[in-house]
Amino acid sequence: MSAIDPEILQRALLREKKARKAAENILEEKSRELYSITQQLKEANEKLQSGLTEKTTELQGVFDNLVDAYVLMDLGGNVIKLNEAAKELFGYNVPKEAVNVVRLIYKEDFNYAMLSFNLLIETGSFSDYIARVYTKNKGVRWVHINASIIKNSKNKPIGAQGIVKDITDQRAIEEQNKKLVQDLEKSNEELAEYAHVVSHDLKSPLRSINALVNWLREDYKSILDAAGLENIRLIEQTLEKMEHLINGILNYSSVNNIAVLKHEAVDINSIIKEIENTIFIPKHIKIIKKQNLPIIKGDKTRLQQLFQNIISNAVNYIDKEIGIIKISFEDKSTHYLFEIKDNGIGIEKEYFDKIFKIFQSLGNNKNSTGIGLSIVKKIIEIYDGEIWLESEPKIGTSFFFTLKK
Amino acid sequence: MKPISFLLIEDDLIETLKFNRVLDTLKIKHSVNRVENGEEALEFLKNTDEVPDVILLDLNMPKMNGIEFLKILKDDAVLKYIPAIILSTSNNQKDILECYKIGIAGYLMKPLKYEDYSLKIKNLVAYWSCNEFIKM
Repeated sequence: MSAIDPEILQRALLREKKARKAAENILEEKSRELYSITQQLKEANEKLQSGLTEKTTELQGVFDNLVDAYVLMDLGGNVIKLNEAAKELFGYNVPKEAVNVVRLIYKEDFNYAMLSFNLLIETGSFSDYIARVYTKNKGVRWVHINASIIKNSKNKPIGAQGIVKDITDQRAIEEQNKKLVQDLEKSNEELAEYAHVVSHDLKSPLRSINALVNWLREDYKSILDAAGLENIRLIEQTLEKMEHLINGILNYSSVNNIAVLKHEAVDINSIIKEIENTIFIPKHIKIIKKQNLPIIKGDKTRLQQLFQNIISNAVNYIDKEIGIIKISFEDKSTHYLFEIKDNGIGIEKEYFDKIFKIFQSLGNNKNSTGIGLSIVKKIIEIYDGEIWLESEPKIGTSFFFTLKK
Repeated sequence: MKPISFLLIEDDLIETLKFNRVLDTLKIKHSVNRVENGEEALEFLKNTDEVPDVILLDLNMPKMNGIEFLKILKDDAVLKYIPAIILSTSNNQKDILECYKIGIAGYLMKPLKYEDYSLKIKNLVAYWSCNEFIKM
């Protein structure tokens, strides 16, 4: 073996040293990188962890504080979890006590419950299930349930959850309201019938008295003196007033009968014309329309009653040599505002409310029964309107009222 | 003009007096059979040889009311041909509709005043005097 050149050895050693140094550097850099990645991972992990805790706490909060009962069950119907409201409603302390939802279903609602359960399995949810359940301490309760299926990460159904609302009281109130409305309808109907019967019974004797008095006058013409004839005339007048009153009550009680109300286009102009032909209007009183009056959707008979009552009041209470009844209206987007103005005796302010009450007649007018304006008010209320007046004693009165378009 | 035979079904005595009094003022003497209620009317119609030309019927009667009587009348194979006219105080639309549905020949509102009543009855009698009736 020849001797090795020491210089060569020296160079090789140097190369080796350099290489090692470089390797060490790389290693150091890599481990630094690794450290920082580990650090980042750790941070991310911590963040995730805290996020999860947050969410879990949040869910727990929702679960606990939910006003409605929350029920979690497995697919076999075994209850896994109940929130406070659910424990309160059903009376079972899950998980200490085991309970299956089938046990809670009210006997008569069983088929309905099974149909809903199938729907839950097939479609993943059901809503607005309304039925009865048995509870441990509160007897049978009506509940409203919305439910959905819970799946695991592999999308496999593992259970179901439901929000249960106790609607027993609400239902009781609804039932009660329904019954009240029915009772009210019935008693209204009875009242209208009653008014017809009573008015018949009251009118019959009036007719009889009228006939008998008439015969007295006819048969005893020769013996009766002026005072006797005058008394007979007064009896007849009283009878007429009485009949007027009975008709008024009958009209008043039938206004309420909404079942017979028509809903048709009614031309107020032709209503006014008809009123002019129906009621007696003395020559010195004129009815003036300030403009062409509108067409209103409503019941013709009722609308005529409304205008006729106000106009005939105006006619009855005009004391001037020339009487003027002026009718006008304004278009108020949702309603029409009517004004019927007269130059009659006027009404004192203190009577403004009183005149709309039944049997409150102010004057001693023989045609006045005190029912007219209460009928007017009732009709206006049917058409979602209001009535009020402005008046100056001795000068005249303006009635204002609104009717829904 | 020829005499008519009426069957008046009326529970009120004075109403009956009124009807007879009006008829008494007429030249032609019509005949009036009066019964007080629906049961009596059916009894009368069952037993009489003289079926009336026209039936005048008060709606508000005790026991069987006018409408119930009208239904029985219009269900009868023979009696249904007798024109029936309602004399009533009520202008209850429900009653009027029901009566025309069952089949009436007229609906007369009894007015308050005897003069008005007298005029209405005279017109009614005059109208039916112009009519021909089925001979039964």
